[in-house]
Amino acid sequence: MSETHEAPVVRENLWMKVLRTAGVPLLSVVLAMAIGSIIIAASGKDPVLAFGALLKGAFGSPEQWQIGNFRAFGDTISRATPLAFAGLAIAFGFRANLFNIGANGQLLLGAVTAAFLGLVLGGQPTWVAIPLILIGAALAGAAWAFIPAILKAKVGAHEVITTMMFSWIALYLTSWIISGPLKDAAGNSQTPMLPQAVWLPTMDQLLPAVFRTPVRAHLGFIIAVGLAVLVWWILKKTTLGYGVRAVGFNQWAAQNGGISIAITTVYALCISGALAGLAGASEVLGVQHRMFDEVSAGSGFGFTGIAVALLAKNHPIAVIFSAILFGALSAGAGMMQLTANVPDKIIMIVQALIIFFVGAETVITWFIKRRQKLALEREGDSDVA
Amino acid sequence: MKRSLRTTCAMFVVFAMATMVLGGCASTSTPTSSTTGTTPPASTFKTAMVTDIGGLGDKSFNDLSWAGLEKAKADLAVETKVLSSKSIADYETNLTNLADAGYSPIFAVGFLMTDAVSKIASTTPDTNFGGIDIFFTNPPKNVVGLNFKEQEAGYLAGVAAGLSTKASFDARLNTKNIIGFVGGMPIPPVQRYEAGFVAGAKSVNPTVKVISLYAGKFDDQAKGKELGLSLISQGADVVFAAAGQTGIGTFTACQESKKALFIGVDSDQFLTLTNPGDTILTSAVKRIDVAVFSVVKQAKDGAFPGGQNLSFGLADDGVGIAPYHDFDAKIPQAIKDAVDKAIADIKAGTVTVPETLK
Repeated sequence: MSETHEAPVVRENLWMKVLRTAGVPLLSVVLAMAIGSIIIAASGKDPVLAFGALLKGAFGSPEQWQIGNFRAFGDTISRATPLAFAGLAIAFGFRANLFNIGANGQLLLGAVTAAFLGLVLGGQPTWVAIPLILIGAALAGAAWAFIPAILKAKVGAHEVITTMMFSWIALYLTSWIISGPLKDAAGNSQTPMLPQAVWLPTMDQLLPAVFRTPVRAHLGFIIAVGLAVLVWWILKKTTLGYGVRAVGFNQWAAQNGGISIAITTVYALCISGALAGLAGASEVLGVQHRMFDEVSAGSGFGFTGIAVALLAKNHPIAVIFSAILFGALSAGAGMMQLTANVPDKIIMIVQALIIFFVGAETVITWFIKRRQKLALEREGDSDVA
Repeated sequence: MKRSLRTTCAMFVVFAMATMVLGGCASTSTPTSSTTGTTPPASTFKTAMVTDIGGLGDKSFNDLSWAGLEKAKADLAVETKVLSSKSIADYETNLTNLADAGYSPIFAVGFLMTDAVSKIASTTPDTNFGGIDIFFTNPPKNVVGLNFKEQEAGYLAGVAAGLSTKASFDARLNTKNIIGFVGGMPIPPVQRYEAGFVAGAKSVNPTVKVISLYAGKFDDQAKGKELGLSLISQGADVVFAAAGQTGIGTFTACQESKKALFIGVDSDQFLTLTNPGDTILTSAVKRIDVAVFSVVKQAKDGAFPGGQNLSFGLADDGVGIAPYHDFDAKIPQAIKDAVDKAIADIKAGTVTVPETLK
C-alpha cells in the first residue's frame, strides 16, 4: 500500500516539501469530496454519477473539446474570475495581517461605479472606455476601503468591524442607487443594459481559433491572472511589498526596522479594496452587462473570496487555481442536479468542508507525519499486519 | 491533554478515511440499482423549470410553477425536471444544461432571468422558453412571457378590504375607514397589485383612505412587521401585503397586535402561514400553476404560444381571490356578493382595472 515503504530518504524529503506547500489544500479537497460522496450515498444517490456529472458540467467532455466547444470550462472560468479578484484582494490584506472581511462592500462599489461609467462612457471607443471604467472601479473600491484603513491606522479601530459595517452600508447604498437613480426604463431594480462597446470581450471573440463556440469566459480572467503576477511581484520584489509582509509578520519588529505601520496599513487595505472593486467591475462588464440589485440577487463573491484566499494560503498565484476550483464546483453543481438528481446544496457542503479542512491544517499535517512515522516503523518491523 | 487531542484527531482522520472507502463501496453498488430502477417508458416530451435564488419551498412563485409542471406530469404524461439556482451565474448554466438535455419548453422564474433567457433562446432556436413574470421586448418565436393581471386580483382584495373596514363583523375593525398596503419592491407586478387594490377599495368605499408602504425587499420579515405595525398605529384595520417573505412579517404584526385583518398574496396564504385562521381574511392569488400548465399543454399539442407576452387574468383563471376559510361564516353576505359582482364585471369587461395608480 505505502509508496514511501521503499522510497529513498532524499526523495521523501522532496515529497514532503511539495506536500507542505500544495499537499494540505489538495488533501482537503479530496477529503471534502469523500465526505460529500458519503452524504450523496446516504441520501440514496450515486456519488460516482454525481461527481462525474460535476466534472462534465465544470470542464465538458472530450467529444465537446474535439469540436472546439469549451462552454463548460468557459463557465467555470467565468465563475472563477470574480473569485480570483476577490481572493487576491483578501490574500493581499492577509499578508499585512489585515482581515478585509468587508471586501464584498468594495466589490459592490466597484460594480456600481463600473455600471455608471459604462452608461456614461458607452459612446467612447472600447480601448478608451474599458481601461477608464476599470480604473474608476478600482479607485471606488480603494476609496471604500480607505475609511476603515485610516480608522485602523489613526485610532486602531479593528478592520473586521469597520470593513464589515461598511459592506452593509455599501449593500444598501448600491441597492438604493440601482432601484433609484440608475433604475432601468421598465421600472425593475436593475441598471439599464450597458452598451456593447464596454462589454469585456469573451474568449471566443479573443481566440476564435481555439474557442469555436460561444463561451462565457471573458477578458477579465486574463486581467486577473496578470494582476496575480503583479501582486506576487509587488509582494516579493518591491519595498511596499516588503513592508506589507514585514508588518504582517511582526508589526513591532517592522516598526523598529523603520517601516510605518500606519502607512503600510492604509496602502495594503486600499490595494485590497481596489482589487475587490475590480471583481465587481469584471462581473458587470464581462458577465451581467448591467448591475442587479444585490439585496435581492446577493452573489457574495467577496465572502467566497475569503475561502479562495484561505485555500490558496494567501499566495497570489495559488489564488488563481483556488478560484478555478471554486468556480468548477459552482459550475458543475447544475449538471449534478440535472443528471444525478443531487441537490446543489451538496456542493455548498463540499465547499464548507474544504474550508474546514484547510482550517484544520494542523490535523492533516499531523496525519501525514504520523503516516510517515508509521511507515518508517513498519520498515523496521516487517511483521506488522 | 495533548495526547487525547491527538487521539481525537486520529479518530477523526480514520473516520474520514473510512467514509472515503465507504464512498467507494457505495459508488460501485448503486449504479446497478439506479439503472434498473429508472427505465421509464420512452416519453419524448420533456419540460423543465429553473428556479430563481429563492428555490423550491418558497411557497410562492417557484412552488407554484413547479405545481404547474407536476400537474402536467400527471395529466399529460410528460417528463419534468427542476433545477435550482444559488446565484445569478447559475441561470445561464441551468438553462443551457436543460436545453442540451432536450427539455422544451423550459420555464424561467422571475424577471432577473430575462437576460439569460433572451441570450440562451437566441443560440438554441429549437428549444422553447417561458419566462414567468417576465415581459420580453420583441420575443422571438421560441420565447413566451407569462405575465399576470395582478391588478384584477388586487381589485378583488380591495373590494373585500374597502367593505370590511366599514363593517363590524370582527372586533378588530375600527371606524377610522383606513386600510393599508405593504409592497415588497416598487416593481411593476407589485405596483399593479397596489393600483388594483386602491381602485377596488375606492369602487365600493369612495372615502376610504389607503396608506401604501414599501419595504424595499422581498425577504425581510422584520421590516414587514415594522411596516405592518406602522400601518396599524395609523389606524389601518385591513392590511394587504404584496411583499413575498416580507409580507409574513406584516401578517405577524396583524396577528400579534390583534388590531387588523390580513390579506395574503400570490398563493392562498391561509394554507402556508402558521395559525392564520383568526387573522387572514383572504388572499389575492396569482395562478402561476394554471399559466405554466396551459403553456405546457399547448406546447405538447404542437402549438407553443411563442413570440409574445401572455397576460393571464381573471378571464383565464390566471388570477383570482382565495376562499375566506375561517371568516366564511363571519363575513356578511353583502361583501361576498360585492366580490362576486366584481369578478363578473371584470370577466364581462364592464370594469377595466387600471395597471397604475391614477
